[in-house]
Amino acid sequence: MFSDLSAQKQGSSLLSRPASEDQGPVFERLSLAYSPCSERYKVGERSFTRQYAHIYAARLMQMRPLLSERAQQKWDVPIRKLCDLQTGEQCCIVGTLFKRMDLQPSILREISDEHNLLPQPARAKYISDTDELILEDELQRIKLEGRIDRDKCVTGSVIAIYGAERNDGKFTVEDFCMADLPLQTPRPALSSDKFVLLASGLGLGSSQADSMLGLQLLVDMVTGQLGDQGEQSGAATISRVLLAGNLLSQSTQDKDASTKPKYLTKKTQAGTVEAIRLLDELLLQLVASLPVDVMPGQYDPTNYTLPQQPLHRCMFPLSSAYPTLQLTSNPYTANIDGVRFLGTSGQNVSDIQKYSSMDSHLEILEETLRLRHLAPTAPDTLGCYPFYQKDPFILEECPHVYFSGNAPTFESKLIKGPDGLEVLLVTVPEFSSTQTACLVNLRTLECEPVSFSAFSADDDDDSEMNISH
Amino acid sequence: MDELYLDNIDEYVNDHDKIVTYKWLSLTLGVHVNTAKQMLYHYLDHKRKESSAQLHATYLVSGKFEDNGQTGHKVSVVKEDQLEDFKSKMSLIVSVHVYSVQKALLKDSGPLYSVDYDAVKDNLKNCSKYSAIRCASAVPMSSLELQQAREIHRAPSPEPVNKKSGMNGDANVASKPSTKPQKGIMGMFAKTASKNQGNEKDIKQEQKEESPVVDAPKSKPAAKANPMTNFFGSQTAKKLNKAEKEEETAPSSSSAEPQRQSSRPEEKQEAAAVEPIKDTKKDSRSKTKRIVDSDSEEEKMDKKKRRRIKKPEPDSSDEDVIPDSPQQMETRESTPSPKKEVESVSHSHQGTSEMRTRKRRRVLKARVFVDEDGSMVTEKGYESESYSETEEDVQATKQAAKDPFPAKQPASNKQDEKKSQKKTSANANKGSKQASIMGFFPKK
Repeated sequence: MFSDLSAQKQGSSLLSRPASEDQGPVFERLSLAYSPCSERYKVGERSFTRQYAHIYAARLMQMRPLLSERAQQKWDVPIRKLCDLQTGEQCCIVGTLFKRMDLQPSILREISDEHNLLPQPARAKYISDTDELILEDELQRIKLEGRIDRDKCVTGSVIAIYGAERNDGKFTVEDFCMADLPLQTPRPALSSDKFVLLASGLGLGSSQADSMLGLQLLVDMVTGQLGDQGEQSGAATISRVLLAGNLLSQSTQDKDASTKPKYLTKKTQAGTVEAIRLLDELLLQLVASLPVDVMPGQYDPTNYTLPQQPLHRCMFPLSSAYPTLQLTSNPYTANIDGVRFLGTSGQNVSDIQKYSSMDSHLEILEETLRLRHLAPTAPDTLGCYPFYQKDPFILEECPHVYFSGNAPTFESKLIKGPDGLEVLLVTVPEFSSTQTACLVNLRTLECEPVSFSAFSADDDDDSEMNISH
Repeated sequence: MDELYLDNIDEYVNDHDKIVTYKWLSLTLGVHVNTAKQMLYHYLDHKRKESSAQLHATYLVSGKFEDNGQTGHKVSVVKEDQLEDFKSKMSLIVSVHVYSVQKALLKDSGPLYSVDYDAVKDNLKNCSKYSAIRCASAVPMSSLELQQAREIHRAPSPEPVNKKSGMNGDANVASKPSTKPQKGIMGMFAKTASKNQGNEKDIKQEQKEESPVVDAPKSKPAAKANPMTNFFGSQTAKKLNKAEKEEETAPSSSSAEPQRQSSRPEEKQEAAAVEPIKDTKKDSRSKTKRIVDSDSEEEKMDKKKRRRIKKPEPDSSDEDVIPDSPQQMETRESTPSPKKEVESVSHSHQGTSEMRTRKRRRVLKARVFVDEDGSMVTEKGYESESYSETEEDVQATKQAAKDPFPAKQPASNKQDEKKSQKKTSANANKGSKQASIMGFFPKK
């Protein structure tokens, strides 16, 4: 654990007079081998004229062999296509799930209903009892019933189902399987503890500035300003910082700009300008001390659809002078000292949260790993570039650290699989609301939160309240 | 280590009423962060023993912290009275140190952030200079980038231009960067000039006369020459302005025209004053020489291509003549006239409207229109209108101006004509000067 590593072993206390002419200690930052592998998430040609059907077709084509193999291992029954389906025959079908949901927001329905409908309250979840689960393959679709958790499934997942078609044309599912974890390249054994710090949701530019001291403490800790020698030597083992999206606050997105007349907004500066400047200064402090990866998130100034392309360098005139600044795409993947990181800024997870019964970000994260797909809901309810030859969100290799950003709380879990497969799942909490980041130990794949706190005017009130109780 | 820092901190805290954080202190005094923390502690300890003024401190506590079964590292800034409380909650204390010292009791920790923010912002370039961690790979590559950028900029510099003069594309590329700085310089001058009072506008014209050389050539040497001339002009202008102001104030007139009249003689005076200076003294020589040099360089450039494209033919021919002139006297005299001609070109393109609005009506203008050949007549009209109301001196200048125009057009006679122009203009200037002085005394 980081605290244990950093605990003071020797040396002079800081609660003492400065020693004579003694320059403070200087620790060397541990460096890591780093190779970004984000090419698959780069969108070169951007043509938005295509239909989204291609991405489903490509997904099914890529996933079918994997699922067929799993299904064969598991059930040993013939794998049918929907068009070859015989009523009553026990068989296995590989296809893409589609969940028909009455509550799913639809712009067409909104328009058709707008005459006689009151505005619907905003919903946290769009599942309902009337949802229907449908399996599609290349040609046909069939309704599913039986032992499959309708609320848990989401549109776009490719699965294999086992069961039989009934006389009424519905398919009774007895069992189903997902593609499950892909193969993993073994992780090299590290001799010393090295850490990667994950943080997300810095939320710069928000109206409340209370969180800024926490953020500054984070920066100070990582850059070795804070704390005792022990803490600083510990901080020197943090060899990389990964900022997983939503560097800017949602409040920097001025929705009024498009509706207000131009002459009223002529002299107003976009909220993102100041926030990006702040971010640049923050990054400069970090980048002068260690390598930093910056992923864009939902509210950051880049494209909205996944895969989000890296933020542009020209937005960071100060920090982009350093070679240690890496502006990366949103699904992020890189090899850090042989440990493969894969993760997103959290859009995929929060979207699944809305359209399924699963609430825990960690649970959803594991589900996507088992589905072997980063963002199954992608073209349906999550913005996505219309890929047509391949689906880059399919996991071809199992990462060692699989994370998603902007989660409400910090959670982590180590999944162990066959052949020594180990995956650390981490939901990186939103920093602006939790004041928490997390440290991943590359040697042990342990993860622990690092939280920051400062006192505020309310603290006294709270303590008084406690006393009264 | 001497304990001067105690006095320093005391000054910051008590006299300046600052919140002194360890980071701010480290950046301000240029000491290692850990030393700064110890200094703060020492100061606090020292002051507490003296028990003089009340001081408030905040501490940083970090360590292992358990929360809902999840152990993690926690870093907190706490008030002094909460320090023990916080320490008892930690299952393992990693570090404790003074975070800040201040006179006032902090309600919340917001000010701590802003203090650090300001300190860091002032030291953005070396914000981690005093931290305890060095990163070998985090070296700004700005120098490299700068070099690359410079190379890009250098590529279109004059040398390649000369070599590649034959190729239009290269030439154009090269010319663009060179023009930019000039524009900037010109803009600077224009601004400075505009700051001067309205009376000085006349002087500005003179400046422009000189400066136009710069405008037309669009080469770096020319740009350098221009500032020199411009400054010179502005200085002279300022000196003159005072006198002019006094003169103006004397004839108080209700209508606008009388004011113009009064201002015009002043303008003439200014012109007279400036021109003689140019003609006579060392300053003018140096300037003129530079200008000539610049012209010659420009001409080289021009011959290769630019001028022909951008400038009207008569100007280029005039300039060609200038370098040929062997005698210094001739060059001195002649140089102003080419400048004026060049100016006229530039004015015709850029500033004619400005000049009209600003009431800058002079001999120079007439020349400008002369370059355009056909438009001469209309120019004369302008001048006659403006100056007819004024004194006889104006007319003299007009005549001087008129005479040179026809002569200039035949290229071979230019130098002689220029000489004559100058002589006439000089005479006119003298007359105007006297008139102005005469006007000056009666006013007082």
